[in-house]
Amino acid sequence: MRTSFISLRRSLQVATRLAGVVLVVQMVGATLLAHDMWIEPTTFTPEPGDIVGARLRVGQDFIGDPLRRDDALIDQFVVQAAAGRKPLVGRPGADPAGLLRVDAPGLMVIGYRSHPSTVEQTAEKFSQYLKDEGLETIAALRARRGETGAVRELFSRCAKSLVLSGTVQPTEGDHALGFTLELVAEKNPYTTTAGQELPVRLTYEGRPLADGLVVAINRNNPTEKLSARSDANGRVHFRLPQGGQWLIKAVHMIPAKADAQADWESFWATLTFEIR
Amino acid sequence: MAEAFDEHAGGLAHRRHRGRWSGALVLVWALIPQVALAHEIGTTRVIATVAADRSYAIAISSDASALLGRLELAQRRPITSGTSAAEVQRAFDAVCHEVPRHVAVRFDDVASTPRATCIVDAADAAPADPFNVLGVTVRLEGVVPAGATTLRWQYGLTTTSYALLLKSSAATETIWLEGDEQSRPLALATMAAAPTRAAVARTYLGLGFTHILPKGLDHILFVLGIFLLSRRLRPMLWQISAFTLAHSITLGLALYGVIELPSRIVEPLIAASIVYVAIENLWTSELKPWRVTLVFAFGLLHGMGFAGVLRELALPRSELLTGLLAFNVGVEAGQLTVILAAFVCVGMWARQSDAYRRFVVVPASIVIAATGAFWTVQRLVA
Repeated sequence: MRTSFISLRRSLQVATRLAGVVLVVQMVGATLLAHDMWIEPTTFTPEPGDIVGARLRVGQDFIGDPLRRDDALIDQFVVQAAAGRKPLVGRPGADPAGLLRVDAPGLMVIGYRSHPSTVEQTAEKFSQYLKDEGLETIAALRARRGETGAVRELFSRCAKSLVLSGTVQPTEGDHALGFTLELVAEKNPYTTTAGQELPVRLTYEGRPLADGLVVAINRNNPTEKLSARSDANGRVHFRLPQGGQWLIKAVHMIPAKADAQADWESFWATLTFEIR
Repeated sequence: MAEAFDEHAGGLAHRRHRGRWSGALVLVWALIPQVALAHEIGTTRVIATVAADRSYAIAISSDASALLGRLELAQRRPITSGTSAAEVQRAFDAVCHEVPRHVAVRFDDVASTPRATCIVDAADAAPADPFNVLGVTVRLEGVVPAGATTLRWQYGLTTTSYALLLKSSAATETIWLEGDEQSRPLALATMAAAPTRAAVARTYLGLGFTHILPKGLDHILFVLGIFLLSRRLRPMLWQISAFTLAHSITLGLALYGVIELPSRIVEPLIAASIVYVAIENLWTSELKPWRVTLVFAFGLLHGMGFAGVLRELALPRSELLTGLLAFNVGVEAGQLTVILAAFVCVGMWARQSDAYRRFVVVPASIVIAATGAFWTVQRLVA
């Protein structure tokens, strides 16, 4: 990871401008060892009657490999709109993995919750990954336990995307879908313009998660990430400096349950949307 | 509320249970839904081909937008998005040279630096349709160091699980890799050591024989057609000699690249030659002069058919003559075995009897002619 002089200066500017502790970090050249998974709709602003494809992407820096629909991985793949919640349909092996028809104007919350997958990593890679994802408490816990060996980890996905059809209604906003780890925009991003404050709340099992590293990445400028730690109420306040597509992410890790045949279990939350 | 779209499921069917699970285990596995620890499998596929001349080509097929984004990021260029196939191709042309920096190709732990070309799948191009995913194929080319026995592969430009298929002249192997994981050393089957001349001779003798028996049903029927003409030994020897001489000539000439006829012409003609010999058997049991000439001409065709097979087997240049002679001897042995077997089946007594022609030659020739005619049509249509 590198912090260039320019972005350091900008980070200081941003930090002084904002009340919260928001840093801009430049991560070009760094190989991240674990990857985000997010929903990339074919459009964030469909017309009523349109079909929207929910593409699943795995990667980093908001650049992702396609993940085709795999029913063995899907726990929930749903859309929450004013009319209620319904599943996203799709054919096995399809990309976009899910499809929805926009029945009525309004804000739609698309959610994808996966079953866990496993990954095995060397101690060295795992330590680096804990550092990259801001999971120092886990690193400290490992050190206290004297764990130095290879690691078997369970991980699962909690991805959300906000899509707006028609004109924005002031009463509408993001919903909690009840995912294990979840990012909820506390203000409708479609009423937010570049530079305005956007509060985002991080919850784990329905309760606010404090001190979680939350990172915001812009599609056109993926190396200049904004990041902040959630406060005691699980909140971070981002002032997204430019319009376009944004990806907000957070990772939480816990010791795996005794019967899980793994050492650690992680949850990967993302939220994608577009602002003007 | 929503409609299914026509999507290509791709190569997904073969990938979930990666171990060698027994059927029962798979069943138990399927009955425990919460334990479905499936991997996140992307659309990247890698096919590594190692040729007998020690050149290698590694084709990486991938999602164009993901790969382009990563290459542009690595070069600190602005990210190209949502453009036509032609524009994406131009963007790839500017960054394709970045690919080898994110790839490790190691032969016995000696790193090889390949040349890279990036070709966007223009066939998939439909810029206006966001449902259409543009693909790209990166081709990496280089030379395997002499004597190398293994290949290790690592690719840093995907984050999902993907299949690596290694094809070398004698073996094909598929392994699954997680993102930038390095593969274990993969054996380059026949690259291990240059085979000895005796080994080449043995191999090609065997290949020549099996190319007739059991693989060459069309050649078997032709030889049987020759066998059925006459009860006497002399006509058969004349025909077999003419056939052998002819196919040896064309096999050699074709293999050295002196003559070349596309198989879509050769293969139907071979089938037609079977029809001819079988039908002539119905008219006469005499060895007419033109019969030997025609069998010779058909032999020329069959030789070109053999050459096609031998070329596909990718014989090393230095062993071309050894392979050619051994293959030819193998073919000969195969033919003689067919004739010997025919002798044994029909029996010497039957060849002296009048019933032989009525109950063996005529029905067998009709069956052979019909089969040959069917193949002729089939090969013409194909």
